[in-house]
Amino acid sequence: MNPFSTLGISPKFDVDLEAAERAHRELSRALHPDRYLAAPGSERRSALTKAIEVNEAWRAVRDPIRRAEALLALQGVRVEEKGPQGDLRPDFLMEMLELREALAEARASKDWDAVQAMAAQVRTRAARCEEELTAGFARGQGAAMIAVLAEMRFYGRFLDEVGAIEDDLAI
Amino acid sequence: MTLFEIFDPKAAPRPIGIDLGTTNSLVAYVSNERPVAVADCDQQVLVPSVVTYLPNGEVVVGRRASRLATEYPRDTIASAKRFMGRGADDAETARLGPYEFAPPEAGGDNVIRFRVAGDRVVTPVEVSAEILRTLKAQAEDELRHVGGAVITVPAYFDDAQRQATKDAARLAGLDVLRLLNEPTAAALAYGLEKNRNGTFAVYDLGGGTFDVTVLVLDSGVFQVRSTGGDSQLGGDDMDRAIAEEILGALGFDPARQTPLLVRMVLDEARKAKHALTEAESVEAEVPGQPPVVITRARFEALIQPLLNRTGVACRRALRDAGLAPGKIDGVILVGGATRVPAVRRYVAQIFQREPLADIDPDEVVALGAALQADLLAGDGRRDDVLLLDVIPLSLGLEVGGGVVDRILPRNSTIPCAARATYTTQEDRQTGFEIHVLQGEREMVGDNRSLARFKLHGIPPMPAGMARLEVTFRVDADGLLRVHAKELTTGIEQTVTVKPTYGLDDATVERMLIEALDHGEHDLGKRQLAEATVEARRILRATAKALTIDAELLESGERARIQQACAELEQAATGPTASVIRSRIEALDHATKAFAGRRMNKAIALAIEGARVEVVEERVKNAQGAEASDVERASGADG
Repeated sequence: MNPFSTLGISPKFDVDLEAAERAHRELSRALHPDRYLAAPGSERRSALTKAIEVNEAWRAVRDPIRRAEALLALQGVRVEEKGPQGDLRPDFLMEMLELREALAEARASKDWDAVQAMAAQVRTRAARCEEELTAGFARGQGAAMIAVLAEMRFYGRFLDEVGAIEDDLAI
Repeated sequence: MTLFEIFDPKAAPRPIGIDLGTTNSLVAYVSNERPVAVADCDQQVLVPSVVTYLPNGEVVVGRRASRLATEYPRDTIASAKRFMGRGADDAETARLGPYEFAPPEAGGDNVIRFRVAGDRVVTPVEVSAEILRTLKAQAEDELRHVGGAVITVPAYFDDAQRQATKDAARLAGLDVLRLLNEPTAAALAYGLEKNRNGTFAVYDLGGGTFDVTVLVLDSGVFQVRSTGGDSQLGGDDMDRAIAEEILGALGFDPARQTPLLVRMVLDEARKAKHALTEAESVEAEVPGQPPVVITRARFEALIQPLLNRTGVACRRALRDAGLAPGKIDGVILVGGATRVPAVRRYVAQIFQREPLADIDPDEVVALGAALQADLLAGDGRRDDVLLLDVIPLSLGLEVGGGVVDRILPRNSTIPCAARATYTTQEDRQTGFEIHVLQGEREMVGDNRSLARFKLHGIPPMPAGMARLEVTFRVDADGLLRVHAKELTTGIEQTVTVKPTYGLDDATVERMLIEALDHGEHDLGKRQLAEATVEARRILRATAKALTIDAELLESGERARIQQACAELEQAATGPTASVIRSRIEALDHATKAFAGRRMNKAIALAIEGARVEVVEERVKNAQGAEASDVERASGADG
């Protein structure tokens, strides 16, 4: 599936998110199941399939990692999401390992400030990665961005864990 | 205004909206484009969500049941919603409360069962069905003929809780048009009543659940950006905190109380909570005991931990929506517990603005549900309004090492679907165990188990050869279906998911038949009526499509479709539901290709529409950005 063409927008990393959201909204207006409650089954199913496709496209386009993956897929580059992290520098992997350990420690000692500080640091780094992706794709060097994507995935998982800790500490 | 109405047994069915709350429930409908709540003969709209099972077999619902609670503390179920979709061993059963739970039957469903009226055993689904039946009857008194219903659920309800709600509606004989998230319903009521655009947060603190939802309202589309909450946090917990305080002050051992005492203290606690909205301090009086003084300051200290839990969810929802707290144009308050002044202060502090409460927070959800029911099934259909909701929790599968592989992330717009492929770990592995989970955590044990099933019959292959494709599909009610298939051999196996916590279909079916035995309905008649209504609806829709999109028909297609229409038309006047059903299917088959073409046309038009809008907006911006700024500023206050 090409999420850009599903939404009728041009495929690029530096996408106009507002235009994409508008396209998603107008397509939803036309396809949402609520519009087809009174329709014959064939129409209902057909609309449902399309509505799901449109929602999936919007989900892919608004997330920088998935947007980059979709662009690379269009260029014929396969991104092995769950594959080995071979493109990442060992020192980065080591650093992430240490950061995760520090997070686990902060959680154990209920040190909320430390958790927040680490989260802020990781958010900054994730934002920098996104800038790198923007620049890389603008230069037409999307395929060189696979390592940056892998890095961003690490940050994403780290921030998910922060969210889980938040839940625990609140109780 | 109509002064009198002539009774018409064929009166058009009117869609209704139901707020099935933890503490109170109510039903509403749309009259002259405005939602109104249905009052009972005492002019009360709120029906306490309380059900008493009397020893003589009688079942009492609502205010009378509340009054019977002290006489029959164990036989009166006062917050069934908290137990919906929960397992018999759930922590909820261990909280302070007067109930007696029956142990699960060996090999039976893992659901909570209350023991009431001697040795009768009822599930939360059946208790909820009693409340829904009462609401339906109340609506029928006013509308005579009740059509489909939109029933609200907390946004943070998980799959099992949603399924349980749907089962309860089925037991109550309701045709569910849609399960709607409570905060979205509230936003709909505000949005349509007050006619405003912008970004809103809905803070919904009900009797037993807390939800926060951030949504954008733009030209009639209510798009939920993020949602968060806690399905076991609410006003009840405030009551419980006060009750524990009272019990402590009176020197009772909290672990050893009679159901009667607990019921009385909880009632006193609730009264104290209400009084403290106005008063600085109250005296709680448990019969036969000295009064216990509770100050507002003490009450606020007691509930501060609960408020902090809501704050975490609010901040997360804002972050998920990509918004700073100051970017919210309005905060909508929902739920009786938001009347507590400390709650309002806390909300104002989190979102940096005074919350809105100009629609009664007890009624706003039902009013929104009524509007949605009217949008879905009413006569005055408005094509400009649409709700786009999301899944509240991520959905995933267990993979090796007890880790969860996330397949659909939280806040994905529904309906949605995603698939993932896996392979075998061992040589000659002939089956896959599939474990479906809901939650945000990495490890299986920290998430909620939704279902487990096995895919059998795969021929022995070396490890890594088989390819298992698992598809998750969430419908517009937020309900999940899981489908698994092995790709290399072409073995396709559709697996029915048995919910981990919940009633299986056979049990619901049995309960339904039991309910029918009480002489309430005639199943056959109902099936025929439903089939006839559906046939008429489809015939109307097909005729309309043939007129509007005549140019999309291929040669001979119109004749084929019209033939199928004529056959359905004829069956619809007959007495056999199954014939009507099969003719509906035949028509469905005849229109399949045509429907596909219509869909493509709709898509092309929508994409075109989005582009036109861009142009229009650019023109508007060029004409004067100032005017729109002023509009936004004036829309934001009040």
